[in-house]
Amino acid sequence: MYSIEPAFILYSITFVIATIVSYQLFAKVQSKLSLIWLNPMLLTILLIAAFIISIDMSFEEYFSYTIALNGLLEPAVVALGYPLYQHLHSIRHQWKVITLLLALGVFLVIPVSLILTMVLIVLPDIAVSLSLKSVTTPIGLSLTEALNGNNSITAFAIILAGLFGALLGIPWLKFIKVTSPKAQGLAIGAASHALGTATISKISYEHAAYGSLSIIISAVITAIVSPLLIPFLFNLFI
Amino acid sequence: MKNAIYTVIAIAICVLLGKLIAHAIGTLPSSLYGLVCFTLLLNFNVISPQKINDTIEWAISNMGVCFVPSGVGIINHFELIKNHGLAIVFVIFVSTFILLTFVGVFFQKTLFNKTSDKPLDNLSD
Repeated sequence: MYSIEPAFILYSITFVIATIVSYQLFAKVQSKLSLIWLNPMLLTILLIAAFIISIDMSFEEYFSYTIALNGLLEPAVVALGYPLYQHLHSIRHQWKVITLLLALGVFLVIPVSLILTMVLIVLPDIAVSLSLKSVTTPIGLSLTEALNGNNSITAFAIILAGLFGALLGIPWLKFIKVTSPKAQGLAIGAASHALGTATISKISYEHAAYGSLSIIISAVITAIVSPLLIPFLFNLFI
Repeated sequence: MKNAIYTVIAIAICVLLGKLIAHAIGTLPSSLYGLVCFTLLLNFNVISPQKINDTIEWAISNMGVCFVPSGVGIINHFELIKNHGLAIVFVIFVSTFILLTFVGVFFQKTLFNKTSDKPLDNLSD
C-alpha cells in the first residue's frame, strides 16, 4: 500500500526519530523526577497517538513508517538471553519448581481472563486477546492471530499488563511480603513480560535474570497450552 | 564501538538461527528460539559475554521504545474502548495481580524452605 519512495523514506526516518527522541526525553524526565508512573513508553504512546490524530494520519500509516522500530521487538527478545545466561548456574537446580509454578500460573490466568471477559464483555475475540496478555509481545501477537483474537487489543493489553507490573508490581509484592528478588523477578516476568522485566532490571541483575527466565518459560508454556486450552474453555462455558 | 558492532552481529545471528529453527520445527515464535540460542552460545563461550555486556545492558534498559508502534494502534479502537474500556482494564488488572501474587508467593515459599537461599541478603532494594 505504501511504496518505497523518497517521501516514504523521509517520513519513516522522521517518525522513527520522533518516536525515539520523545521516548528518550520522557525517560530523562522520569529519571530526574524518579516517579515510576511517568512511564516513558506510555507517555510516548499517548503523545504520538494525540499527534497523529491531530494531523489526521491513520494508525496504519504511522505503523508503516515505524515498522523498523517494531522489527526490533524480535532482537529485543533475543537480547534477554544475556541476563538468563548470567544466572543459568543458579537457576539450574530450581528449574523443575519454576516450570511447575509457571505452568500452574498459565493454567490459572488464561481461564480467569477468558471467563471474566466473556462474563463482562461477551466478545470472543477480546477474550482471546485478554487471555494472551501476560506473554511477551511477539508471542502474544502470533498466538492471537492463530486463535482469532484482536491484534491491536492484544498489543495494548500486553502493554497494560506490562505497565501494571512495572509500576505496581514491586510495591504490591513488597506489600504481600514477597521480598526475595528471585520471587519478585519470577512473578513480574510471568505477569508483565519484557516490559515489567525491563523496568525491574534496573533494581538488580537477579531481578533481570529471573524475570527473563520467567518470560521464556511462561511464553513457551502459553504457546503450547493456549491453542488447546482456549478452544476447550470456549466449548465448556459458552 | 567495536563491541557494539560485535553485539549487533551476535544478536543478528541468533535472530536468524531462531528463524531457521522456527521454520524447521514450528510451534514457538522464532524470537524464543533465538533467545535460547543466544543463551547457549554465551554459555559455551562462542559469543563472548564480556564484549556484549555494555551494549546489551543499554539495549535492555531502552527496549520499551520498540513497543510504542503497536501501542499507538489503540487509536483504532475508540468505539470498543468507549463501550468496554473499563471492563477491559479491570480484567487485565485483576488477572495480572492474581498471577503476580500466585507466582510471587509460592516461589518465595519454596525459597524459604531451602536454608541455603534466604532472601534476607537482598533487603537493600
